[in-house]
Amino acid sequence: MHPNLLSMARRNLWRNRRRTLITLSSIAFGTMLAVLMTAIGDSNWRRMIDLAARMGAGHVTVQNAAYQDSPTLGNSVVRAGEVAARARRDEDVTAVVQRISGAFMVSSAGRSYGAGFVAYAPEEEDVSTLSILEAVAEGEAPSHSHERGIVLGAGLAENLHAGLGRKVVFSLTDKHGEIVQEAARVTGIVRTGAPSVDGALALVPIGRMRDVLRYDRDESLQVAVFLEDQRHAARVAERLGGAIDGELGVLAWNEAQPELAGFIAMKVAGARFMEVVMLILIAAGIFNTLFVSVMERLREFGVLLAVGFSPGRLFALVMGESLWIGLFGLLAAAAVTAMPYWYLATRGVDMSGMMGGDTGGMEVAGVAITPMLYAAIEPSNLMAIAVAVLVATLLAGLYPAWRAGRVEPVDAIRIG
Amino acid sequence: MAEPIVELDAVYKTYRQGNLEVRALRGLDLIVERGEFTALCGPSGSGKTTVLNLAGALDAPTRGRVLLEGVDLASLDRRARARRRRDRIGFVFQSYNLLPVLTAYENAELVLSLQNVPDAERRERVMGLLGEVGLAGLEDRRPAELSGGQQQRVAIARALAPDPAVVLADEPTANVDSETADQLLDLMEQLNRERAATFVFSTHDSRVMERARRIVHVVDGRVAKDERR
Repeated sequence: MHPNLLSMARRNLWRNRRRTLITLSSIAFGTMLAVLMTAIGDSNWRRMIDLAARMGAGHVTVQNAAYQDSPTLGNSVVRAGEVAARARRDEDVTAVVQRISGAFMVSSAGRSYGAGFVAYAPEEEDVSTLSILEAVAEGEAPSHSHERGIVLGAGLAENLHAGLGRKVVFSLTDKHGEIVQEAARVTGIVRTGAPSVDGALALVPIGRMRDVLRYDRDESLQVAVFLEDQRHAARVAERLGGAIDGELGVLAWNEAQPELAGFIAMKVAGARFMEVVMLILIAAGIFNTLFVSVMERLREFGVLLAVGFSPGRLFALVMGESLWIGLFGLLAAAAVTAMPYWYLATRGVDMSGMMGGDTGGMEVAGVAITPMLYAAIEPSNLMAIAVAVLVATLLAGLYPAWRAGRVEPVDAIRIG
Repeated sequence: MAEPIVELDAVYKTYRQGNLEVRALRGLDLIVERGEFTALCGPSGSGKTTVLNLAGALDAPTRGRVLLEGVDLASLDRRARARRRRDRIGFVFQSYNLLPVLTAYENAELVLSLQNVPDAERRERVMGLLGEVGLAGLEDRRPAELSGGQQQRVAIARALAPDPAVVLADEPTANVDSETADQLLDLMEQLNRERAATFVFSTHDSRVMERARRIVHVVDGRVAKDERR
C-alpha cells in the first residue's frame, strides 16, 4: 500500500527532527498560555457573575418595565408570586426569589448614614441566592420574614456605633411617596472585604419591608431568577419575557449590571488580543519551519514534478505537513497543559499577596474580587483555541505550499 | 517502419543567465524510435541536458517543435504536461533522487499510485519490477539503507513502473563504481530487450557508449554525428 499524501507529509515532518520539535514546542507552550489565560478568565468571570447575581437580583431579573428608567419603590411587580411560579417552570432555572432593594437612611443615637438595603425572605434564601449571608461575621441573619431584625455591613455598623443587639431606625419613601420609618434591632454584622458593601449595605426581612412600604403580600420590587449556567441568561430572559405580563421588564445579568458586563467585556477583549498575538507568534514559527523546509527541498519537488506530481498535489503535500504540525502541536499542547491546568483547577493560586491582603478591597461594580485564581475553561473557548491554532498553522502553510507548487522542474533539477 | 517516440524538429533553445544569452540548441533535429537504446554524448554545455529537458516535457523550446508520441508538447498546459510525464516518461537521475521518507517499494510504486492503479495490480507490477532489478527482499528499506547501485536500481524500477514510452536517463552510471555501472547497464539492456523499453541516456561514460546501439553526438546545440550500430 502506497502512503497517501498525508502519510508522506507526516513522514516529511520528521526529516529534521530538531526543527520540528522546536516548532511543536512553540505551539505547545503558546497554546498552553492561551488555554490557561482563557481558563482563568472564564473561571473568574463566571464566579464574578454568579457572585454579582447572588449579591443582587439574580442572573435574570424581572421588574416593572418603568423601573429601569425610574428606579423608585413605586415601580414594583404587583403579582410577583405568579411571575416567580412561571420562572420556576423554566428548565434552566435553579431558584427564584423575590427581592426589594433600594436606599434608605439608617440612624442610631446621634448618627445617620445613607445606605442600600436588600430585603429578602429568610425562610427561602441561603447563600446560594444571597451570597452576602456567608459573610455574616457576627451574630446572625433574621430567621423569618416579619422579624424586626436588620443585618448591617461592618463599616456601616461601625459608623453608626451600632453593635449587635442595638436598635437602629431606618427611614425611606414608601410605595405612595410617603416618608416612613421603622425600628429594627441589629442581629448580625457582615464583613465582605468590599468597602462599598461593608460601608453601605443592610439586609432586612422582606415581609417586614413590605409592611413598611405598604406593598401587598405578593408584591415585590424584583423577582430574581438564578440559573445553573449564567451563559443561558439571555435565552431565559427572552423566554420569560414572552411568557409574562408585557408591563414587566426581563433583564439578563449583563443588562441589569452593565458596569460589570462592561468590565468583563473589556478584560475578555484584552485576553483575546493577547491570544491573537500568541497565535501570530505561533504562525510565524510554523511559517519559518515550513518555508525553510520547502526551500531545502526544491530539488526534490522538481523530481516529484518530473515523475508526475501536479503542482496542486505538491501544494497539498506541504499543506498536509502544515496540518500535521498543527495536530501534533495540539497534542503536545494538551500534554504540557494538563498538569498546570489540573493544579489551577483544583488548588488555584492565591493572589492575595499581590492584591494587598485578603482581597485588597478590590471590587468591580460592588462585587468583591476574590484573591484566588482558578482555571475552568468553557468547552466552546477550548474548541475555539484549538481551531484557531489549526487555522493559524494552515494559514502559515499557505505561502510555502504555494511556493512549492510554483517550482519549475527544469530549474529544480538538472538533467545531463 | 519504426514508430517515432520523441521528435525534436528544428529546435532552438535560448536561456538568459543574467545579462548573458546562452544559445543551448541551434536548430537541433532528432527522432528517437520505439525500442531504441540511445546515448547522447558530447562535451559539457553542448546541449545534452537541454535535449532531455525538452524531450521530458520539463521545458519548452524557444523555437521549433517537440513531439512525444506525435503530440506537440507546446499544445499542453502545465497540468497536462505533468500527466504526460507521469504516464509516458520515466526519469532516471544521476543522483538517484529517491524520496528519503519512502521505502524502496513505495518509491517504485509512486507513479502508479499517482495513476490510481488498483492496489493488487500495483503490488504485482512493483514486486515483479523490484525482482527484475535485483532488489527482491529489500523492498522495505529506505534509500539511506541502500547502496548507490541499489538506489539507482530503485530509480530504474520507478521509471519503468508505469510502462512509459521512453526512459530518459541522466548520467545514470556517473555516481557508481565501475562494477555497479556494468551491472546497471546489463540491467537496462535486459529491460530494453525484454520489455522493448526505449532508453535515451545523456552520458560521458565510455561504457554506456559502448553498449548503446545508437550514439548521437551533440556539439554546439546541434547533432554533429548520429551513429547506429
